[in-house]
Order: sequence, then C-alpha cells, then structure tokens
Amino acid sequence: MEHRVDPWLILAVIGILGASLTTLHTVSRVIGTNLLLRQLVWGVAGLITLWLLSRVRLDVFERLAPLLYGVGLIALVAVLLFGVARGGNRAWIAIGPLTIQPSEFVRLAVILMVAAWLADRRGDHLKTGEVFVAVLLVGIPVGLIILEPDLGVALTYLPILGGALWLGGLPRTAWIILIVLAVISSSAAWRYVLKPYQKDRVLTLLQPERDPFGAGYQVRQSKIAVGSGGISGQGLGRGSQSQLRFLPAQHTDFAFAVWAEATGFVGTTILLLAYALLFTRIAKVALTTDSRHGLILAALVGVWLVFQVVVSLGMVLGWLPTTGVTLPLFSYGGSSLISTCAALGIVQSVWRFRLVNQ
Amino acid sequence: MELREDLRPFRRRTVVLFVFVFAALGLLHLRLADLQVVDGVEWRNLAENNRLRRLPLPGPRGWIYDRRGQVLAENIPTWEVLLFPNEADEVEATGVFLARISVSDISIFHQRLAERRIGRMAPLVVGENLSWEQVAAVRSHQSDYPELAVVSRFRRHYPYGELTAHVVGHLRPVSKSEVAADPRLEPDAIIGATGIEAAENAFIAGSSGERWVMASAVGRQLGVVSESEATPGHDLGLTLDIELQRVAAEAFGDQAGAVVALDPRSGAVRVLHSAPSFHPGVFGGRLSRSDWEGLLENPAHPLQNRCLQGMYPPGSTIKPFLALAGLEEGLIDPGETVFCNGSVVLHRHRFRCWRRGGHGFVNLEQALTESCDVYFYLLGQRLGIEKMASWLYRFGFGERTGLDPAFEAKGLIGTPEWSRQVRGTPWYPGEAVSVSIGQGPVLATVVQLARAYAMLANGGRPVRPYLVSPPRVSRPDPVVDPDHLALVDAALEGVVHGPRGTARSLDPIPMAGKTGTAQVVRLQEGVDSKDLAPQLRHHAWFAAWAPLYRPELVVAVIVEHGGDGGSTAGPIAGKVVEAFLRQRIQPGVETPPPPPNQPTSDASG
Repeated sequence: MEHRVDPWLILAVIGILGASLTTLHTVSRVIGTNLLLRQLVWGVAGLITLWLLSRVRLDVFERLAPLLYGVGLIALVAVLLFGVARGGNRAWIAIGPLTIQPSEFVRLAVILMVAAWLADRRGDHLKTGEVFVAVLLVGIPVGLIILEPDLGVALTYLPILGGALWLGGLPRTAWIILIVLAVISSSAAWRYVLKPYQKDRVLTLLQPERDPFGAGYQVRQSKIAVGSGGISGQGLGRGSQSQLRFLPAQHTDFAFAVWAEATGFVGTTILLLAYALLFTRIAKVALTTDSRHGLILAALVGVWLVFQVVVSLGMVLGWLPTTGVTLPLFSYGGSSLISTCAALGIVQSVWRFRLVNQ
Repeated sequence: MELREDLRPFRRRTVVLFVFVFAALGLLHLRLADLQVVDGVEWRNLAENNRLRRLPLPGPRGWIYDRRGQVLAENIPTWEVLLFPNEADEVEATGVFLARISVSDISIFHQRLAERRIGRMAPLVVGENLSWEQVAAVRSHQSDYPELAVVSRFRRHYPYGELTAHVVGHLRPVSKSEVAADPRLEPDAIIGATGIEAAENAFIAGSSGERWVMASAVGRQLGVVSESEATPGHDLGLTLDIELQRVAAEAFGDQAGAVVALDPRSGAVRVLHSAPSFHPGVFGGRLSRSDWEGLLENPAHPLQNRCLQGMYPPGSTIKPFLALAGLEEGLIDPGETVFCNGSVVLHRHRFRCWRRGGHGFVNLEQALTESCDVYFYLLGQRLGIEKMASWLYRFGFGERTGLDPAFEAKGLIGTPEWSRQVRGTPWYPGEAVSVSIGQGPVLATVVQLARAYAMLANGGRPVRPYLVSPPRVSRPDPVVDPDHLALVDAALEGVVHGPRGTARSLDPIPMAGKTGTAQVVRLQEGVDSKDLAPQLRHHAWFAAWAPLYRPELVVAVIVEHGGDGGSTAGPIAGKVVEAFLRQRIQPGVETPPPPPNQPTSDASG
C-alpha cells in the first residue's frame, strides 16, 4: 500500500489554484468585493479535504455509497422546499453564515453510488434491466435539479451516466436506441423546457451575426477578451475587457477569459497543460488499479471533470451556448471547489489502495 | 507485477475515453491558438475600440394645467451635452473646448467633474440648453472629444412664470443622500422642490429607463445593446383659475401679501397668490446660484409662500366667529345693545375701540358692520378664553388645512394651557380681551381664514381646501345653527352695502365680507397708523364672498403693512370678485393666453 499522495496531481491542482487566485485578485478590484481571501480559505479547505479523503480506505466509499446517495436525494428535496433563491434558481441552502449548493456535492454521491453499483455487477456487459437502473440512479437527482431549475449543474450529471454506460459495456443496438431517445428528449426539451433566453443562446451560437448586441453580446465580449490577450497577454490587471467591465460574470463563468486576456497564449497553454497533467494522473490511477470499483470510480471522476472543463472552455471560446457551467478549480465558488477536491481525494484513495485486491 | 485479467475490457474502454479527452483538449488548444495567436491583433483592436455606454433616459414629467386646461407647467425639448467620465483621459482639453463654444465655464466644468458621483456608470451633464450652433460644434468635433455626446432631453417651462411660482412650485436636483437612499434615482435627476411639483412629485415624475449602447472609438453610436424604456409621469389638472390668479396679482401691484380664493361649496382653490413672487428659473426649472442668492437676500422674502406659511394676527376678521360663539352658547341676544364710548376698562386696564369717539349704542349686527371693538371686548369676557378657543378650533383656526401638509403653518390659538406649556409664562386675563378682537396670542394663515369664511358662506359646513382632488369624505354637518349664521351673514353684507359699513366704498360689488387690521406695533395715544414708517404699519385684511345668494367664491386677502383693511385689501378682493362674476356670465371670454415673452433659455448666448 502506497502512503504518499500523488505529487504530480497535487502539483497540477496547486498550479490551477494559483492561476485562479491571481485572476480573482484582479477581478476583485473591478467588482469591488474581495474574492481572493474567501477563495484562498476555500482552497486550503479543499486541499485538506483532498488529503483527508485520500486517507480513507477505498472499500469504505463502496459501503457508504448508498447512505450518501440517500442523504443527497434528501438534500435536493430540502433545497426545493427551504432553499434560498439566487438569480431565479432555488439552488442554495443557508447554514449559518454559509450558503452551500447541495447539487455540487450530490454529484459526488451519485458518482460513488454508480461506481459501487457497477463494481458489483458481473460480466463484461450490462443487461437491459441494469441499463434502466443506471438511468434511474442518475435521472432522479437530475430531475430534482432541473426543478430548481439549474440546467447548468444538471448538465454536468450527464457525463456520469454516459461514462457508466460506456464503462459497463453496452451492445451496439443499445447505443443506437439511446441516441434516438436523446434526440427525441432534447427536441422535447427545446419545445417545453428551455426558456426563450436559453433558446436565444443556442440560436446565436449557430448564427453569431443574428443579434450582436443581444444574446451574442456575452460571447462576443468573451472572444474579444481572449483574442486580445495575444501571445504574451496584456498583463495582470491591465486587460481592457475585464477592467472596463465589458466582460460579464468575470469571477465565475468567464474567469478563464480574464486569465486569457491578461496572460495571452502563453498563460492559456500553461493552464491547459495543468489540466492535461491532472487528467493524465487520473487516467494513470484508473489504468493501474487492480480494483474494478477503483477503476470505475477514477474513470467517472475523470469523465465528469473533463466534461466540465470542455463545456466551460467551449463556452468562453464561443463554441457552446452559455449554460452557467463553471471551470473546475478555477471559477470562484466554495461548493464547486470543495466537491472537486473531494473527488480528487477519492481518486487518491484509489491510487493508494490500487494494489489491494478486493 | 501482473494486473487482473478480468478488468481488461474496462481498461480498454477507459483508454478510449481518455483518448477522446485529449482530443478535446487539443481542439480547445487549437482554438486558443487561432483566437490569440492568429487573430490576436484584430481582437485587440476591437477591444480598444470597445466603448459600452450607459445612457439614462429620464422619464418626462407630467404637465400641469389649470381648471380650464391652460398649461401651467410643460416640457420643452432641449439639447444637453453628456460626458462619459470613464472614457475621458484628457479632461483639460475637453473643458477648454466646451468653454470656447460657450457651453460651460471652465471652473463650472471642473466643479461638476469633482462633484460627480461614481459607481453608477452614469454620464455627467456638462452643458444644458444648447443652441443649434453649439450642437453642430460638438458634433463636428466628435472625433476629437469622443467622450462627449449630445442628447435630446426635456426642460421644464412655466408659461405663467412668476404668476404661478408659489402654487406650482419649481424643481431642484436630487441630493447625494437621496441618490444613496434610492437606487432607481439617477444622480442627475430633477425632482419637485416646492408647491405642487413637490407635493405631487410621485404622481408627476416619470420613472427613468436606461439604454446601453456600443460606441466606436470616435464616439459614434454603433448599436443598442439593451434598453428599458422610460415611463412618462402623469398630467395633473388643478382647480386653480389662472385668470383670477392674474387679476389678483395685478391688483396687488408691488405690495407684499397674499390672496387665497376658493369655492366655499367644495373647497376647490381658485387663487393662491403670494406677493412678491419670483421667476421659477430658466434652467429646466433649476435656479442658478446667483438667482438663488438674490432671492434669499431679498428683504421682501419672495420665496416665502405667504398663503400657507405667513402667520398673521387675524384682527377684526375673527369677529364673526366670536359672534357665532356667543350666539351658540346663548350668552348674547341679537337685540341686546352695548354702549361704546371709545374705550372700556377691564382687568384694571383701558382697552380702546378703533373709533376714538365711540360707536354709541350698538347691537350685534351694528357691532359687526361697524367693527366695534368694545362690543367684542365685553363678548370675550362673557365667553372666556376656553370657549373662544374651542369655537375657533371648530372654524379651523390653529390647525393645518391640509392643502400642503409639508409646508403649511399651523397658526396659533393662545390658551392658558398653551401659555404654561409652550410659552412658559403665566396667562394674563387681559390677553383674552385682545384675542376677542383678533390680536395678542392668536395667529392665522390666509388659507385658514379663507376656509373659515367658506364656512360662513356655505351654511356652516367645514371644507378642506384642495388644488388637485377633493377629499373623499362624507358631507360634514354644519357646526352652527342656520338662524345664527343668517344673522352674522346679514351683518357682513352690511359691511359692504350698509350706510356705516367699514367697506362701504366697495358697495357696487355684490359681495359680503369683513375688514380687519392686524397691529404690527401697539399704537401710541393720538398716533394714526398712516403716520408710521411702512414696516411698522398695520397689516390690512379683507375676507369676502360672492355672490350674496348661494356664494360660489370666497376671497381672503392680506396686504402687509397696508394700513386700513377697507382701503387696501378690500379693493383687491373686490377686483377678484368682479372678475369672477364676469366670468360667470361669459365663461372663458377672459381666459388669458400665456404671456408671449417669457424668458426662455433656448435663446442662446
């Protein structure tokens, strides 16, 4: 049994956090709230969480999974009943001075549950009934989150289902049926679930000239910010897009654009390399463990984080509609940061217990 | 060391997953290279030319009309120059430019910049009321001064100027604390300062909107990002009669004082004029600093609204109410006579009648018609101060009429309790003697007197004066016996039409009324009021109603230091009544158009 936490993974995490705190420092001056100190506290809390969870034996996660999953569902119902609304979404619960966003933590419980359940299956391929179980395990919390309604967070649950089905193994015909179902449900969502402003964002993406000052405004400003960073950047705290507030949601959804404007292609390459290092280490954990449970767990965490990074960057770079998906470890927000660190802590537990045969 | 064989398919699938991951990251990196390296310069140019501006859109104020639809307050389109402070690097040059085209003084320009309130992304108004030439000058130099923008806005204009300055009021810029308290308020917003503009501000004022626009590097507007429309305020019709208002003002000449006229049946105010008046400002209703200081230092206090805020001893105009009090209390008989030899000794002090030779034997009617003081000294003794005070309250003295609760004075009715608690000195019985002829510790506003006389004219029912909308209350009951009221009303007809009435010089005008003289200083033995210095002369009162049968107008007039009520205040009331009666026969004939040559600020330079 290994005692050390993987130093390369820690290096990647600290590197991303450092870039994030630098960015939030320059943003704080613009929006007039000191985000740096708060995010620093969250960052330290996140690293402690990571270390603590890496100490936990892997099989404990397997046994606790149903309990955590149940608690998670209760929390999602509670948020619908007693939650605090921010900007139209009833997604937060106030506990003393803190407001936490349960949907960020429930995702972890879902990953644990799906991994534990999948590890318990026999054979190389899923049976039809098992597919429905997997869909239900992810679908129930997603349904509750859509009711909040927080489509951005609900979206980040989908890669867990996709990853589970892919890893569990599906016959080719099942994939075809799933894809057909996805098309039908998304066109139904287009008609009945999406609000006009959300449709606007999608349409603008397909046709950017459609409304340069309306729904396309944010994306346009974001692209201007990233592009004007050039090769070496305009310097920290000097980017005109961010300093003059052309850029919206600078500390959350568009934090990457602030970094890109300030540090240019050099800075964005370094940041992407840090994420690549992070995913490489997660992949290494998944590929070297001798535990079916550990492999699935690490792979699901990886799939989720990659999905969120790609969707978030795709939005900032004008490829995907603005959905409110944050960049893991980089955007401002305690709940997201702690839950990401917790997930990495679990991956470290897999790493440390990778040779313990279950 | 060998890994478990049975996990091989799962490893294979994981490898496929991560291949996709790195493919996605690679694509993102290519996209970054495209944006930042290939097109970086173009995007940077766009960023440098990016100017997002927030334009507040003030909601136009509602117009104000008189009872016949004559415009008392309106909005006139005007051009203003705005400066966007976060775009201005070299304000020195901008200030010099604005001074060169006479839009703004350099010192005023810098003062405005220093006073600007940051944090709301609001542009600064650096020039108002631009002429066409100035608009053209700013537009043609737009590329030199991209931080400037010319916008079309509204300026408040009062067609009747001084004639309605007190009643309609004027505007003022909001204060810093008001902006801090209300996030919807723009830092350069204008609100009502006085009069109807202030009292009805919430109704008249529109709510402002805003427009976010993209501007090019040379200040040209490229497009509208988002816009919320301004909502115009509501128009307001007043009960005021601008024709009568003008007759009253012209009758006043350059004397100081006030006229209030109202409909005794409803309380609708027809005239509310305070003299001297002032011009309510030309800069969109804003007074310039020098104008303001001039008004403050003027010894005639033109800013004071004498109708509502001036408190005067009512003098003999109080007598009809005390007569009614005596009748209601059963303390006097209309036929009972009193002998007036010119003075009476009460509480070891000699109180004089205004007529030194005395009136001889007078009954109640004669005492009112000829305004005999001795009769009322003795009546006051019978009533006592408590009963006098209680009856005066019933006629509305000593409390606000509700016409303008924020600005109105309350008046005063002195009682022993008031003396102890407020004044802190003992009450002298002799003070009650003074109160019975409206002197001493009793003060009334002109509106209060007009309301009290409305009760004499409408059968004894209390009314509440109003300019905008009548109070929604049930019709109040008369506070006095109609027979008693008829006696007093007949006596007040005699004041104008009787052979010995104190206002018999106004005889041809079909009205009833009462003169009054309010002492400013106590007269020495053998000195006539006319011989005193002007500022020591008595105030002259006249309160009247017309026509005699079913009165439709009550007028209360005070002329400060006017001396004798019958000769100065009476004729002013008479002219208002005459104009009103003419109007009744031929309505609308005399409705005056607005004066053509009011100073307007769009005359440039």
